[in-house]
Amino acid sequence: MKTKTTAAGRSLWGNAAARLRRDPVAIACLAVIAVYIVIAVISPIMLSHWDASHNYELRNAPPSAQFLLGTDGLGRSVLQKTLLGAHVSMTVGFMANIIAIPLGLLLGAFAGYFGRRIDDIIVWFYTTVASIPGIILLIALKFAFADRKIFSGSICEIDLSGMAGVYLALGLISWISTCRLVRAETMKIKELDFVLAARASGRSDFAILMRHVLPNVFHIAIINFSLGFVGAISAEVMLSFLNLGVQNLPSWGKMINEARMDLVVGRWWELASAVTAMFIIVLAWNIFGDRLRDALDPKLK
Amino acid sequence: MNNASAQPLLSVTGLTTWFEVRGGGLFSAKKHVRAVDGVDFTIAQGKTLGLVGESGSGKTTVGRSILGLIPATGGRAVFDGIDLFSLTPGQWRGLRRRMQIIFQDPMSSLNPRMTIAGIVGEPLMAHSSLSRQQRKNRVGELLERVGLSRHYMNRYPHEFSGGQRQRIGIARALASRPDFIVCDEPVSALDVSIQAQILNLLDDLQKEFGIAYLFIAHNLAVVEHFADEVAVMYLGRIVEKADRDSLYARPIHPYTRALLSAIPVPDPGSKTVRLRLPGETPSPVNPPSGCAFHPRCPFTREAAQKLGNSDTSLIQSGGEKVRIVTRCMKETPKLKPLRDNPSHLHACLLV
Repeated sequence: MKTKTTAAGRSLWGNAAARLRRDPVAIACLAVIAVYIVIAVISPIMLSHWDASHNYELRNAPPSAQFLLGTDGLGRSVLQKTLLGAHVSMTVGFMANIIAIPLGLLLGAFAGYFGRRIDDIIVWFYTTVASIPGIILLIALKFAFADRKIFSGSICEIDLSGMAGVYLALGLISWISTCRLVRAETMKIKELDFVLAARASGRSDFAILMRHVLPNVFHIAIINFSLGFVGAISAEVMLSFLNLGVQNLPSWGKMINEARMDLVVGRWWELASAVTAMFIIVLAWNIFGDRLRDALDPKLK
Repeated sequence: MNNASAQPLLSVTGLTTWFEVRGGGLFSAKKHVRAVDGVDFTIAQGKTLGLVGESGSGKTTVGRSILGLIPATGGRAVFDGIDLFSLTPGQWRGLRRRMQIIFQDPMSSLNPRMTIAGIVGEPLMAHSSLSRQQRKNRVGELLERVGLSRHYMNRYPHEFSGGQRQRIGIARALASRPDFIVCDEPVSALDVSIQAQILNLLDDLQKEFGIAYLFIAHNLAVVEHFADEVAVMYLGRIVEKADRDSLYARPIHPYTRALLSAIPVPDPGSKTVRLRLPGETPSPVNPPSGCAFHPRCPFTREAAQKLGNSDTSLIQSGGEKVRIVTRCMKETPKLKPLRDNPSHLHACLLV
């Protein structure tokens, strides 16, 4: 026997983090994401005067030293609009994931672990939801939420006609891929000997789910959190483009909508700014999600 | 437990475990895999029953059915006076402290996301009201008892070798001070040198704590130094059961003989005759009629040559036509004692 006295070992999470730290591409993507998060947090504070910045004399100015990315049809700075758009996109991505990931994780783990009837019902439910084209379901939910409030009367009343409705609608359609993956992984894990050992030790189903199943499927949730951002950001852009999304703030989708007639007369800067900003963050999340999967997947060990 | 000498700790009668399998076609009838098909045995306190058979013989299913991890289809299992198959889930949980299991694969039997302290302490969380510190102390004791350092407590399974992981699995099984442990091929996945260490450890623990083992193996050699009694399984049934000495000295059933002759002898000059069995283990979905061993049995072929055509039949076995004794495919053999040794049971019609 070895007689080393070093006490603590390194967990699989620790191993994954170490692998990620050694991956320069993942670090670069993470840096990009961090920059976007910082912009998303500080831009509404820095640019709170944005609403009043109409200036008709300066409208449709091309990029210059004063306006790095030019101005739009109302004379507002495109740079400021792009930065504020990051706030909307990152918030939507985050909020949609906060709803979708726990939903997918729990339903998937339940379906996979208990099997039989519970599995049938959950699989039937997500197959039904998945069979409706996403964008149509999203628009339908958004309309259904109009003028509705949840928890009305209480202090945490949420008005679903605004952005909260977008978060909820996006969350309710994007849990399916997580649920599917978690279900399949759970079915695999519950047959392993350590789950049998826990049952032989008299642990309850709840304890087995919490201690043995969820920690072993949680990496799927993390990966899907990263990849889910991409879908949420694109969906928000689509909704805003259709005028169903954000109302009082600029977003990349609204910018694309407003600039769609500009391109033919040579005013490319607003469209280019919104598309580039979106392209970079979508690419960063996508590559980061892939790298995260490589780092977390024990099969590559 | 007071009258342990009079009453066995565990007695199993007529244990059957069938699995339903879907037939090939849409309308084909449901079929059953008869994994375990009528198994009887008893284990006394502090003793070991070796259960030996090829893969697919149902030996693992026997162990898991007794522990209620796979629902048994029929039969009875009485553990210290308690009828196991009539327990409610709550009663089962209370009893689990006294019955534990050690697995074959040291990789998949430990949760990769948990520390050793968490793994070994798990049965303690289910069954005792120890404080965190008390549990830690107990885990440390257990680790040292199985030959590991207590400093390994905060490490993770992937940081250990196969033999060390198997020791961790043993420590977990010991944690709740059980009376009975199912050892499901605990050394089959280990190097030969490590096998001996683990077997010695299991032996010491049995002497120290008086634990009864159901020791499952696919290899008679492993069981020889370890078991008090040995049962040989073939296609879900016990074909021979005897005291260790009697079984190794005088194997009766042709299947036992074949298994024994497969043990390598560490002497290049020795001229043991290897008894080879033709064909493969038949599918337990559709086992052969009568004595399930008849398509592969060397005895029945030999005996058929001495008998007239009226008592023998031609069957197809492994691509060739062979003549066997008709009785072997008509009559289902039961375990019966040897005339001069009533504790040695076998299920061969021709002996």
